[in-house]
Amino acid sequence: MPPLAELQRDIARAVLAGDTAGLAPLLVGGTEPLARLAIHRHHYESSLTGALAQKFPAVGWLIGAEALASAAHAYVAARPPSAPCIAEYGEDFPALVAERVGGILPYLQSFAELESAVGRASIAVERAPLGWSEIASLGATALLDARLELQPGIYYTRSAWRIDELFETYLGLARPETFVLRAEPSALEVRGSRGNVAIERLADPVYELRSALAAGSTIADAAAAALERDVSFDPGRALRELVAAGLATAIVRGEPSTGGLP
Amino acid sequence: MRSARAIHDPERGRHSDAAPRGRFAAAGAGIGLRLPHLIEAATRAPSVPWFEIHPENFLANPHAAELLRSIAAKRPLAFHTVGLSIGSADGVDREHLERLRRFAADVEPLLVSGHLAWSTHGGTYLNDLLPLPYDEETLRVATANVHEVQHALGRPYVVENPASYVGFGSSTLAEAQFLAELAGATGCGLLCDVSNVYLSAANMGYDAYAYIDAFPAYAVAELHLGGFTREPDAATPGREILIDTHAASIDGSVWDLYAHALARFGPQPTLIEWDNELPPLATLIREAAHAERVALEVFAGERADASAR
Repeated sequence: MPPLAELQRDIARAVLAGDTAGLAPLLVGGTEPLARLAIHRHHYESSLTGALAQKFPAVGWLIGAEALASAAHAYVAARPPSAPCIAEYGEDFPALVAERVGGILPYLQSFAELESAVGRASIAVERAPLGWSEIASLGATALLDARLELQPGIYYTRSAWRIDELFETYLGLARPETFVLRAEPSALEVRGSRGNVAIERLADPVYELRSALAAGSTIADAAAAALERDVSFDPGRALRELVAAGLATAIVRGEPSTGGLP
Repeated sequence: MRSARAIHDPERGRHSDAAPRGRFAAAGAGIGLRLPHLIEAATRAPSVPWFEIHPENFLANPHAAELLRSIAAKRPLAFHTVGLSIGSADGVDREHLERLRRFAADVEPLLVSGHLAWSTHGGTYLNDLLPLPYDEETLRVATANVHEVQHALGRPYVVENPASYVGFGSSTLAEAQFLAELAGATGCGLLCDVSNVYLSAANMGYDAYAYIDAFPAYAVAELHLGGFTREPDAATPGREILIDTHAASIDGSVWDLYAHALARFGPQPTLIEWDNELPPLATLIREAAHAERVALEVFAGERADASAR
């Protein structure tokens, strides 16, 4: 009998890849114990592909259950999980499914990323929002160097297609007789809490500001990114609207910067 | 607590047949609470004495965790982990253990249990409960891992007998003996999954009643009951194998074995597990009520022990 670590290495290989070399003499159970080991391999595969199918039902609706299952099998083979919380598994599944199927559906990756964001937003729990007075009390210089923490159920995603309209059709919110997916850019904010989710299309500079803040940029850097999109953009007003919408939960003072708003 | 049929008594110690290692005072039959039933359990407060959850389903789901806290304020909870991998030669998943510790500190379950199995190797999580050889090396590995888990959680861990389809010719200890050694070495409690005993005995060809008789009763902290599925056994053409799917009601033969287990272990908190093809919550509650009736019959001397037939 090999040491436990070697035995587990070999069984892991059997579960992951079906390679049972050297295991037959070690096992007992029925007249062909290797066939029993296949029960574990089957459970490993079916539980993970099932979890992906549950996580991406809209992708399944779009490409069909068979194509989704095929992509899920490929993903499980390429990216075994590394942790036991299977709800967190499949973060980069949108890229793989797009690689396999996206040739005929160029919007598939962004659609799958939107679905992933909706799923994560729906299980979030919103925190008490930050009031404007807490921001105003900082003073202009300190404000520019500060960072905002946004609600935990906020996600930003872009697409070259109107994938939000496609997603609404999937949800049954829109039931057009004929649906035409428009090749027009979408800058989307997904906001959710306690099972409720809203998808909002944002103006380009607003998207830049909010997504930069969500990614941890200072208010000055986020505003600069927004102004690059539109020089007439009013960052102060956009910041007030963000706070009024309850999107911010905390303000974190930063190190003083050398510059200000462009 | 809600019932007086099982009483937590820390003074009794391990010499007692009903020793309370990690055992919680909630008695009677609880149910495994799964996400599709969570809102109903939180808002309607069904008449179930306690719930057991898989913490892995809540660690990445803040909304579910919030609902669980509201349930925990009204009902005792137990944690049944599926990801600690106490049989791994690599050691337990420390990152997962830390997440579990923080969640347990938040929700304060009355008991934390997991499986005599392994799931993690080389940083890959195999999402199944894989079999172990029962020998001295595995005992050393599992003992060290259980010590680490108990140290991190600051409480006794409770270890469940697995559902077995395949074993190892090199095992030198019977499973019940291995569990007794593990409990003796670590002070952990034991969870006797009666359905797993029935299923494993059928699959591996031993006597389920003899297994229960050999199980270290002093360490038992909880019992589990779950449904299995019969499938053709690819390893033995013409025979069936029982798969631990938790996708069906509890088999009649398992109820008989449960009665035998109660007669041997005394009153124990019992859990109804149902994970796949999940029926309405009311079905689980009916199964739990049936477990209560079986227990009442056993302790009233009104149910014959099937092992004596």
